[in-house]
Amino acid sequence: MVIIFGAVALIVVNIIILSVNSSRYFSYGSGRSAIFFIAPFQKTVTQSVQFLKNIWGNYFFLVSVEKENADLKRTISRAIDKNNKYREIEISNFRLRNLLDFRKTMTNQVLVAEVVGQDPSPWFKTIIIDKGKSDGVEKGLPVVVPEGIAGQIIDISCNYSKVLLIIDRNSAVDALVQRTRDRGLIKGQSDGRCLSKYVLRKHDIKVGDTVVSSGLDGLFPKGLRVGYVTEIVKRNSGIFQEVTVMPYVDFEKLEEVLVVLDSPKHDFVSEQ
Amino acid sequence: MTYCFYICVCLCLVIFQTTIIPHISLFNNVYDLLIPFIIYLGLFRPAREGILFTLVSGFLMDNLSGGPFGLYLTTYFWLFIVVKLVIKYLHARNNILLLLIVAAGVLMENIIFIASSTMARSDSHFFAITIKTVFFQILWAGCTGFFFITFFNHIHKKLEQWFNGLIRDWGIGDR
Repeated sequence: MVIIFGAVALIVVNIIILSVNSSRYFSYGSGRSAIFFIAPFQKTVTQSVQFLKNIWGNYFFLVSVEKENADLKRTISRAIDKNNKYREIEISNFRLRNLLDFRKTMTNQVLVAEVVGQDPSPWFKTIIIDKGKSDGVEKGLPVVVPEGIAGQIIDISCNYSKVLLIIDRNSAVDALVQRTRDRGLIKGQSDGRCLSKYVLRKHDIKVGDTVVSSGLDGLFPKGLRVGYVTEIVKRNSGIFQEVTVMPYVDFEKLEEVLVVLDSPKHDFVSEQ
Repeated sequence: MTYCFYICVCLCLVIFQTTIIPHISLFNNVYDLLIPFIIYLGLFRPAREGILFTLVSGFLMDNLSGGPFGLYLTTYFWLFIVVKLVIKYLHARNNILLLLIVAAGVLMENIIFIASSTMARSDSHFFAITIKTVFFQILWAGCTGFFFITFFNHIHKKLEQWFNGLIRDWGIGDR
């Protein structure tokens, strides 16, 4: 009986103390010393656990991550490759649209050809295109691009042709200055530019003037752009002035060209 | 086997030179890559075998180039002859000779080309461009020509060894 009474009293006292303590926080010195002794161990154990967790997370777990990484890299590589292809298609599409628009503006019958090779020597400026005799290409036909005149066919095989570019030293195009209608003969130079020869001194030609084909050479259709004037030299003597012309066509970046199939025939073509 | 090797090398060099090199600006002034090949034929191969492919290479290049027909044929032919004479009288096939001979070959080709170009007409721009182009070509040739010749020689030897081994294995030689 005494024991039961004592136990009940103990529970009551305990509840009272708990209720008092729960309403207000009391700090005792024993608590501080407990923390003082236990915390370093806690810290060590926690750090050890953390260390092990890191090892697991950074090394063992990475075995699977490495595989995933390799897969992702492969995927990215494929995506980059695909993206590059799409970009190339986009650029090609833009270029071909440009060519198509230019083709629509031309009254002549033209044939689209792709550039497949360039001259092996730096001294001569020719290209090889993928259209030949079987496509109706003939020797002497003019070759143009939207930017202007590119050159003329000088050699043909069954499926390929060789084009002499207007920047070659052996090339010549009869041309006139668009603004003043003064005639000259555009000859290729060694440095990628052209020289308009036999232009009379008296003609008022200015830097920046556009030079177009005259059509009088019986080869290139009239009015096609050739280039623009970059330099004019009038020497003390002589009846002509030297006019340097920079072609509009970027011959380093030629990829597709148009062969004009029904250009006015020159005599030498029929002689071949 | 040797002829197959020559044809392959010749085609690869011509195609590389006319399709890939023009698109790489670093190689704008690179020399004619067939020159080391012609020099290799002159230095290491019998005259009868070498002259045939020298002429074939020249013919091929003349057809692809916009220059007067026969320019490459002439160049390669005389280059081959000069190389043959050099090894006959100097009795030398050392590395320094290889370095010099490719550069000399490139210079010789350029002299022939320039001579043929100026025969038609010349202008002030032409000479300015010429000096720069020839200088860089000789520089390229001096730096890389030796490696090309060594490479051709090495590959040819390996192929011959492989082919001879193949013939021995099949017992073709015993019959």
